Amino acid sequence: MTQWERAQAKPVSPDITDRSNALPAKYFTEPEFFEMEKEKVFGQYWIYAGHANSISEPWQFFTRTVGNQTLILVRTADGDIRSVKNFSARDGAPIVDETPMSDPGYIDPDEFTDLESVHVDSIGPLVFVNLADDPMPLSEQAGVMKDRLEALPLGEYEHACRIVSEVECNWKVFASNYSECDHCQANHQDWIKGISLDESELEVNDYHWVLHYTHEEDVEDEMRIHDEHEAQFHYLWPNFTVNMYGTADGYGTYIIDPVDTDRFQLIADYYFRDSDLSEEEREFIRTSRQLQEEDFELVERQWDGLKTGALAQAQLGPNEHTVHKFHRLAQDAYNS
Amino acid sequence: MSTQEQASYVAVCPECDVDLQTDEPNEIVAFHRRHYRVTGHDVKLERTELNFEEVTSTDIKGVVRQLEEQYENGVPIGVVAAVMNEHGLTIGETLDKIHEVRMTGGLYEPRDNYLGAF
Repeated sequence: MTQWERAQAKPVSPDITDRSNALPAKYFTEPEFFEMEKEKVFGQYWIYAGHANSISEPWQFFTRTVGNQTLILVRTADGDIRSVKNFSARDGAPIVDETPMSDPGYIDPDEFTDLESVHVDSIGPLVFVNLADDPMPLSEQAGVMKDRLEALPLGEYEHACRIVSEVECNWKVFASNYSECDHCQANHQDWIKGISLDESELEVNDYHWVLHYTHEEDVEDEMRIHDEHEAQFHYLWPNFTVNMYGTADGYGTYIIDPVDTDRFQLIADYYFRDSDLSEEEREFIRTSRQLQEEDFELVERQWDGLKTGALAQAQLGPNEHTVHKFHRLAQDAYNS
Repeated sequence: MSTQEQASYVAVCPECDVDLQTDEPNEIVAFHRRHYRVTGHDVKLERTELNFEEVTSTDIKGVVRQLEEQYENGVPIGVVAAVMNEHGLTIGETLDKIHEVRMTGGLYEPRDNYLGAF
């Protein structure tokens, strides 16, 4: 007769420096931790705001909510990008309505002058903001990812498509899922046919990690923007990815934005040579959407399980270095 | 004559003789999900009042694409169920088809229970 083994449901160890130990489940499921993350994660690190090409003209702007703050990102008259907090010092009211990067607006320069600034920096055309008073440099957080991405002509590409999906799951579950490909064989059966997983490599850096894959098909040589038959999936702590697909003359980014403890939005942006999608590019995005849906189904199932409270702390597999890195960075931030 | 206004959507389970009358299309889907979870019965739409021009498309993706122009941040899943009801699909069948198309990448949810087409 099977006997319930209670010991298996107990925490492995609160010390997640042990490489098989995942972040305790309470950090995923309890709402107070999400409030803490707004300050200690989203209020401390460099957070991706959007693409410089989307505000190419003076006083064009978009908004971005980071932690507890809504920010305005503006192209100023001298061509720089600045970010300010979206509230009036006089009465606290928002200066502008929420305006996504994919549909930017124009701000009156007079309205902009006295607003409180936040730090802005960029990697090529990718613009980041930081709410901390004295943040670490973006170059330190992004490490070699900054050099690698800046060696590519990312700024020559145009935003072609944004798809926003809301998913019933804590943002960290999806982030962990993105960071490994152990699930790919079972979960992405169509896509995996063209991928040589044996030749894939997981590279772990201080605040980012890269999954390098090789694949059978490739774009023509003159169109390729990275190594032959290679796809690179970069994850930058805490919630940004850059997806160099290899099979398309373009790239994508994901923002894994928490809505609350139980939900996140996946904001997927796609960049190609031209903002008008060709039929091939449309088909490429459809495949990307399919992979997202397959992952959503998987992480929503994991989330349902995690919420039951039966598991106090998961144990990671031997290949999940990147997931462990993600969990450790979360733990470091919480303890800071 | 009753002065009570008629609800835009009426969903019923003929087997249990229960119904839901509402003006909020997504409530019929929530009602279906609750009822199906407990009883296994697929509830039926008895009345749908669609305040827009006839949707000519008959497949889920085409319906969402056509309706997207009239909704700012996704088409309520209940409206899609109401349109598909005109084509003979029950709420349960519509939800199954939505799942099927989502898994191929043709549909997405910009927010819970609202659909966009790609």
